[in-house]
Amino acid sequence: MKSIFTFLIFLCTTAAFSQNIVSGKVVDEKGKGVPGANLFIDGTYDGTSSDENGNFSFTTDTTGNQVLVASFLIYETSRTTIDVSNFKDKTIKLRENVNSLDAVVVSAGTMESGDKARVSVLKPLDIVTTAGSAGDIVAALQTLPGTQTVGESGRLFVRGGEADETQTYVDGIRVAQPYGSTTQNLPTRGRFSPFLFSGISFSTGGYSAEYGEALSSVLLLNTQDEPDQNKTDISLMTVGLGIGNTQKWAKSSLSVNAAYIDLAPYQKAIPQNIDWNRPFQSLSGEAVYRYGFNNGLLKVYGAFDASRYDLNQSNINLDHKMRVDLSNNNLYLNASYKGNFSGNWQITSGVSYGYGANKIGLDEDEVENAENAAHLKLKFRKSFSDRVKLSFGGDYFITDFDEQYTGFPQIGYNANIAAVYSEADVFFSKKFAAKVGIRASNNDLLNETNVAPRISLAYKIAKYSQFSFAYGDFTQAPRQEYLKYSKFFESEKASHYILNFQYAKERQTLRLEAYYKDYRNLVGYDTPTVAYNSNFNNNGNGYAAGLDVFWRDGKSVKNLEYWVSYSYIDTKRMYQNFPEKVTPSFVADHNLSLVTKYWIPDWKSQIGFTNSFSSGRPYNNPNEIKFMNGKTKSYNNLAFNWAYLLTAQKILYFSVSNVLGSQNVYGYEYANQKNSNGIYARQAITPTADRFFFVGFFWTISQDKKSNQLDNL
Amino acid sequence: MKKLLLVFAIFVTGMSQAQTKFEQGMGQAFGLWKEGKPAEATALFERIAGAEKNSWLPNYYVAFISTISSFETKDKEKVNALLTKAQNVLDIEMAKDPNNPELLVLQALTYTGWIAFDPMTNGMKYSPKVMELYGKAEAIAPENPRVVYGKAEFEIGGAKFFGTDTKPMCAEIDRAITLFAKFKPETPFSPKWGLDRALDIQKECGKK
Repeated sequence: MKSIFTFLIFLCTTAAFSQNIVSGKVVDEKGKGVPGANLFIDGTYDGTSSDENGNFSFTTDTTGNQVLVASFLIYETSRTTIDVSNFKDKTIKLRENVNSLDAVVVSAGTMESGDKARVSVLKPLDIVTTAGSAGDIVAALQTLPGTQTVGESGRLFVRGGEADETQTYVDGIRVAQPYGSTTQNLPTRGRFSPFLFSGISFSTGGYSAEYGEALSSVLLLNTQDEPDQNKTDISLMTVGLGIGNTQKWAKSSLSVNAAYIDLAPYQKAIPQNIDWNRPFQSLSGEAVYRYGFNNGLLKVYGAFDASRYDLNQSNINLDHKMRVDLSNNNLYLNASYKGNFSGNWQITSGVSYGYGANKIGLDEDEVENAENAAHLKLKFRKSFSDRVKLSFGGDYFITDFDEQYTGFPQIGYNANIAAVYSEADVFFSKKFAAKVGIRASNNDLLNETNVAPRISLAYKIAKYSQFSFAYGDFTQAPRQEYLKYSKFFESEKASHYILNFQYAKERQTLRLEAYYKDYRNLVGYDTPTVAYNSNFNNNGNGYAAGLDVFWRDGKSVKNLEYWVSYSYIDTKRMYQNFPEKVTPSFVADHNLSLVTKYWIPDWKSQIGFTNSFSSGRPYNNPNEIKFMNGKTKSYNNLAFNWAYLLTAQKILYFSVSNVLGSQNVYGYEYANQKNSNGIYARQAITPTADRFFFVGFFWTISQDKKSNQLDNL
Repeated sequence: MKKLLLVFAIFVTGMSQAQTKFEQGMGQAFGLWKEGKPAEATALFERIAGAEKNSWLPNYYVAFISTISSFETKDKEKVNALLTKAQNVLDIEMAKDPNNPELLVLQALTYTGWIAFDPMTNGMKYSPKVMELYGKAEAIAPENPRVVYGKAEFEIGGAKFFGTDTKPMCAEIDRAITLFAKFKPETPFSPKWGLDRALDIQKECGKK
């Protein structure tokens, strides 16, 4: 008994005497002491804070190998396994946290908005509060540098590229038909309401290897991961009605939106320059269902819209107006899953299906077409540390297109594209980062394989300034318009070289970007328009070089946010049926936009002005010998909007475009034949209305009585 | 017998030491905080959190002090780091107990910090979330003074912006003050802050 007691006492005393001293110094990457760092043995109370010189010393009861943790706000937490009996006067080096606000960002080519964006060019609200955008995501993006205002189209034209050189992705999955259907010279708008998206990333070049089948640009839209609350949104507009509802449950949520748009009443009130038989009418709905698993999130997005219109369009080649009636049905489904699993792995997978069907009547003739498009995607991402991340994955695109024109045999094609890619993100330090990737794709219709390398580098030169550089090869299968007649093509190709400078401090951002783009293998043909008897070639080429400037400031004047975008472009192309290399008609050399938003607290109002200016665009005048020698006068549009908060949840919204009433001309259409005076007659392509007025009332019903639809406008 | 007593004594002290280690550490951390050393206090709370995985309190105070410090900091970089730190530890505790009203209130406060950080960007994003958190906390603990006061204070901010009447919220502040008087914290270290601020707001309410 006695011996046991002695033994116990012995044990206790040894424990008391086995205290170890752990000491040393915490330094940063330059070797300077870090004061106030927290040092402790993991899982115990033993520890201390470093003194003003970074020195520390503390005792611990633990023995043997232990994990010494050193943490301080702006540094990466360090964990070192040490022998506590033998750790004295040692140095611990803390590395700067590459996730901190002032770390370098790989930014060449990309403009981001939303939650995760470190340097926001556009804020989520901007899409809708920009005067002239009328809630159209694409219209708001057109106030950013690198885009062209092509009013008769309404689509995104980026850096000398055609509209179809931009691909749209929702939650990483491609949208095959991102725009509403229209016929010639009638502008369309993006199919997606900004309502359901929380982040937008718009790249005007040099984008990641994750994205393919886009020569010029990608637009990435991300749906919200989690809605805030249960609510109902009601919109009453001069052009239609909208209703939305969100329900939230413990693990899942559902948002549903429906809109009915009818331009007929508006047309009655304010006639437009269009001879309608039946003004534009559409019924659309969107829904997002989200389910949160313990380690992942499933999102299912669906959108449907049916639209139609019927009009008489004057045509310079006809002595009467041509009757055009169009009806379009479109369905888009997208399911994606993002999950994390052990070892810092992340999986993203998804599938989308798009169905677009058009029925177009052209006088007595009728065209019917349908496209079925699917995209399957699987992506893995492994984080080795905060500094090194590797992602790789694959894509499979399926496109099936059929078209029937009265009196002609049915045409169409079926293309499958399989692609794999891999990309590494590396932070060498807080100042220097790189993204290196490669993408390989195979198109079974064209029977070809392409390999495209991509690289971006970013270097921080000062606290608020950095340079980025990007290079990449991009390929895209020729557009539907060509593929439906022939499959003897190669993919069109482009290389991008981008040099970017960015200055971002608090609420001021300056972005300068110079680029050079080299186009190869563009499709050419030998007929006045693309037709069944066209002889195609792949010999086209071109270039685009330019400078984009962006300045955003929300700091200098209280309650005022504004941004200025200026783009200069020099581009020429030899493609389509061009006889020589010229600047295509959709390009204006100079584009300038000024967007302002002013919040007046006393009036509970936000007032905004947007002015868009473009220099003249080329057009071809067959009366002249030189091809594409004409130039329109410059374009200017000043738009105004006013959002008035009646109460926290009721908003009255008013907007008007082209306040100054500028007589804008987008270009000219010439007759195919000379008239009796021996000249080719022409008609101007002009906006569908000199001015567009919009009045809306938006009402949100929710429990908290606080949220509103300001971000929907 | 003497030896037996001695062993017994050692045994008991050992026991009580084990019991009070947490209390001692927490007490010391509160002491540092009172002395105006929030960084040191946070560091100690962090260490306790690492050792006492079953208690939500140490991380609660890491998040609370970080959030409060962020309100008093001008350097944007530091505010970002403080709020991120608060969010990281809140995430740990919220995952363990998503229905703890004190954690819900603190999460709402941290979001309020993000709103203050950049009202233009974060206002629209976090305001509904803050209200949702207070709503949830109210459903779980309608008599918790911090829930009542926090919600009313946030609503007063919104009402001032829209120029609507603050009377109902001021009444809630009054009710919160009576609830503070009745409130019994579960443990000596459980959250009990808020009365001073509520009294300040009551004064402001009375001015009009």
